[in-house]
Amino acid sequence: MDNRLTAEEIALARASLDYALANGAQKVRVTLNKSLMELFGMLNGELDKVTHALDRSLQFSLFVDGRFGGFSTNRLERKEVEAFLLGAIDTVRTLEPDPARDLPAPERTAKDAGTGNELDLYDPVCETLTADTRREMAIGTAAWSRKAELEKGFTLVSEEGEYSDSVFDSVVMDSNGLFARHTETSFEIGYEVTVEDAEGNRFSSYWWDATPRLEAILPSLASCSETAIRRAAAQISPQDHPGGKCTIVVDSECASKFLTPVLNALNGYSVQQKNTFLLDKVGQRVFSEHLTVLDCPRSRGETGSRLYDSEGVATTEFPIIDKGVPTRYFINTYIAGKTGMAPTIEDATRPKVLPWGGCKTRDDVLRKVGKGIFITGFNGGNSNTTTGDFSYGIEGFAFEDGRITHPVREMLVTGNFFDLWNNLLLVADDARLCMSKLIPTLAFRNTDVNA
Amino acid sequence: MIHPKQHYLDLFGTGEPLLDTLVAESLRHGGDYCDLFFENTTYGNVVLRDGTVASGGRHIDYGVGIRVLCGEKTGYAYAESTAMPDLLESARAAAAIADGTSSFYEHSVRAEANGSRMVGRRFRGEPNPAADRYPVREHWRSAETAVFISFLQKLENAIREKDARIVKILANLAWQVTDVLMYNSLKELKYETRPMGSVSATVIFQQGGKTENKTVSRSFRTGVEMLSDALVEEMARDAVKGIDDRFDARRPKGGQMPVVMGAGASGILLHEAMGHAFEADFNRKGTSIFSEKMGQQVCARGIHIIDDGTLKGNRGALNFDDEGVPAQKTYMVEDGILTSYLHDRISARHYGVSPTGNGRRESFRYAPIPRMRATYMESGNAAPADLIASVPRGIYVDEFSNGQVQIGEGDFTFFVKSGFLIENGRLTAPVKDINIIGNGPAALRDIVAVGDDLAIDPGTWTCGKGQSVPVSCGIPTVLVKSLTVGGE
Repeated sequence: MDNRLTAEEIALARASLDYALANGAQKVRVTLNKSLMELFGMLNGELDKVTHALDRSLQFSLFVDGRFGGFSTNRLERKEVEAFLLGAIDTVRTLEPDPARDLPAPERTAKDAGTGNELDLYDPVCETLTADTRREMAIGTAAWSRKAELEKGFTLVSEEGEYSDSVFDSVVMDSNGLFARHTETSFEIGYEVTVEDAEGNRFSSYWWDATPRLEAILPSLASCSETAIRRAAAQISPQDHPGGKCTIVVDSECASKFLTPVLNALNGYSVQQKNTFLLDKVGQRVFSEHLTVLDCPRSRGETGSRLYDSEGVATTEFPIIDKGVPTRYFINTYIAGKTGMAPTIEDATRPKVLPWGGCKTRDDVLRKVGKGIFITGFNGGNSNTTTGDFSYGIEGFAFEDGRITHPVREMLVTGNFFDLWNNLLLVADDARLCMSKLIPTLAFRNTDVNA
Repeated sequence: MIHPKQHYLDLFGTGEPLLDTLVAESLRHGGDYCDLFFENTTYGNVVLRDGTVASGGRHIDYGVGIRVLCGEKTGYAYAESTAMPDLLESARAAAAIADGTSSFYEHSVRAEANGSRMVGRRFRGEPNPAADRYPVREHWRSAETAVFISFLQKLENAIREKDARIVKILANLAWQVTDVLMYNSLKELKYETRPMGSVSATVIFQQGGKTENKTVSRSFRTGVEMLSDALVEEMARDAVKGIDDRFDARRPKGGQMPVVMGAGASGILLHEAMGHAFEADFNRKGTSIFSEKMGQQVCARGIHIIDDGTLKGNRGALNFDDEGVPAQKTYMVEDGILTSYLHDRISARHYGVSPTGNGRRESFRYAPIPRMRATYMESGNAAPADLIASVPRGIYVDEFSNGQVQIGEGDFTFFVKSGFLIENGRLTAPVKDINIIGNGPAALRDIVAVGDDLAIDPGTWTCGKGQSVPVSCGIPTVLVKSLTVGGE
């Protein structure tokens, strides 16, 4: 089967849209998705799993007699789709009317996503990869054969390495004339490891990388396992830490834990439901003036870039938070209809925290801060969406004079997002490009860390 | 619900000779074992927001997963069609794990030579409708949407009547029905239809400029008859329960202290911090903190920890797991001794034991792995009030959320949504928004008293371990002598 959408599949989506319109729907949006994923996984140096996954689905947003419903099916034979649509239209008619439901106005939707590859996110090499090539890539993730050489003061208990590649192809069309397509490839490697110290204590860690282009993943192939093993071994011999108010440095790998709740608090659904700590805070300086978050959805060749959202609304580059001031809520067409607020893109696409303070890397940040707790991972915890209070379990290290001294254990970071982001001290310039949220290493002063 | 065999064969457009053909193709390159998992899922929901039920939908997911095992190695592929050419293509993709032409598979060839081919613990017989654990009187697929709308409206009215501080109610009713047919190279054929109904309500309260929210949910493997007036009243009562305390609650001073976990939903700690570490895949790979602890005492005598697929109508109930193995009540810890891991067929083969009916998957898109069902600790003999009375200073927890555990280290962190300070043996100030952190094996060892009030929580618990499956959890009131409480 073709790894991208075929003309016949797109024609089926178009015919389904027309069929819904001819059978009672006044407005329709159809999204057709197709994805193909191949995965080869290693366990302790040997091939452990092979996975082949091909998915297709049709999703329908149906607007019938002032009512709305969402439907999907992966049975893509034309007759089955038509029967499904007739049932779906009947179901929508039983719901209560909702005048707020509508398609986005045509002037808001993307006009520049016709081929799917405008952002240069598709690597055609995926069409030529063989099972043997993929196996070799998977073998390349493993370090088990170098076990003896790698074991320095610890033993490798277990390793799992994976290579996968995938193609995702999607078309969205609506009865207002929208047609937009997004095609991307992703090449990904991952490695998880458990090590054991001389006392029998076990420590686990991982590392991963992903890119839209095969050639860009190759340099990470061998280093991925080494990074994960180094991260696991670094946790050996943790010590208690007294905690208290201190400066924390948060590694770029996990820094989204602190920004994601802030972005979620700007979501229109939360605003409409009055379930957000950023209610009525747009336009006010509520965070440090050193915090600026740009949405950068249209960067060519970069993971996470998109020309449009799930409604087909065109993305743009804009500041989500400008020098500590949230500039807007994310209001989709429905929430705009419910609240009377102006519609926007439905969510942040590829948010990027801008560097501040002159540090390039995490080591620069540690040196500049001098002393504190360096957080390399989170373990559980939660935040309160209505107050912004949070409490998270943390993994990481104590550091002094800019150098890591020892791993810490059983610690929590506790606070409120307003206080935290007003205590922003430094933002490095080392965001990982494999992530859709570009958040560099961060430093915050005066933060509660409990043991 | 268990229909006659022919119902499922017709539904998936197949027959037993075709199933044998697929098995033969899947094993053509020398795999030891293969299984086929046919699935037809219909799911839908309606949402009440701002007083109206103006949103809903219905979805179909249909396909076949084909798994080939070669030793303990897994080849997996699936098709979203039951047309034979598509199935054969998937069978060939899965069979690649046993591609004997590649030098890469020397190990598995050696394993075969040593006689370690998949040994069948056979589960003979056809599914028995009389033993069905999914009681259904009214079917979800044929129910009128108006019934769902009426239920949500009743629920909203009942909640709103109970508290004047309510500013928003968001309620969701979701249902799912899954037909499955499973066949394998041991010639076991199993089939059933799994229902699930789930209702949730999130309520936003405001008082004196402060906002609090509370979510309540119920989920059962039953039919539409679960949408009763009694359920409305029960959920409405729970939706506002303890909200006065929530507004008054503060973060307490943290530190090491005794923790009393209330009966019911606190069982999520048992699921996360202990249950996952008992899943045999983590142990087979040596990544679990409980690896090599089989037969050893892991907690006080008298404590029994169970994973149970036999609770009729429970969210974690199963007739068969997703490998066609009959569900069972599995004692993981018996009288304080670790007696069993939770096994799928791969880990059972590795350990030389019978599978425990824990091979589960999210859908045909996933290979099964060991997963929990309904996990709980059996009642002890202490009065819950005595447990609280025995604590000079500590924390009583009645609702956790967002727990996480590191399987290798056993370290866990759980967020306390609500609870109370215990001072001089009495519940005093309400607390919230704190974490409890500890280590799974250490916490198990530190359980010093178990109440006589086991409760299985009826909420919509979903376990994520790379793939989502419905589960439930429970626990009696339990006293842990020391855990770290993170506070101010």
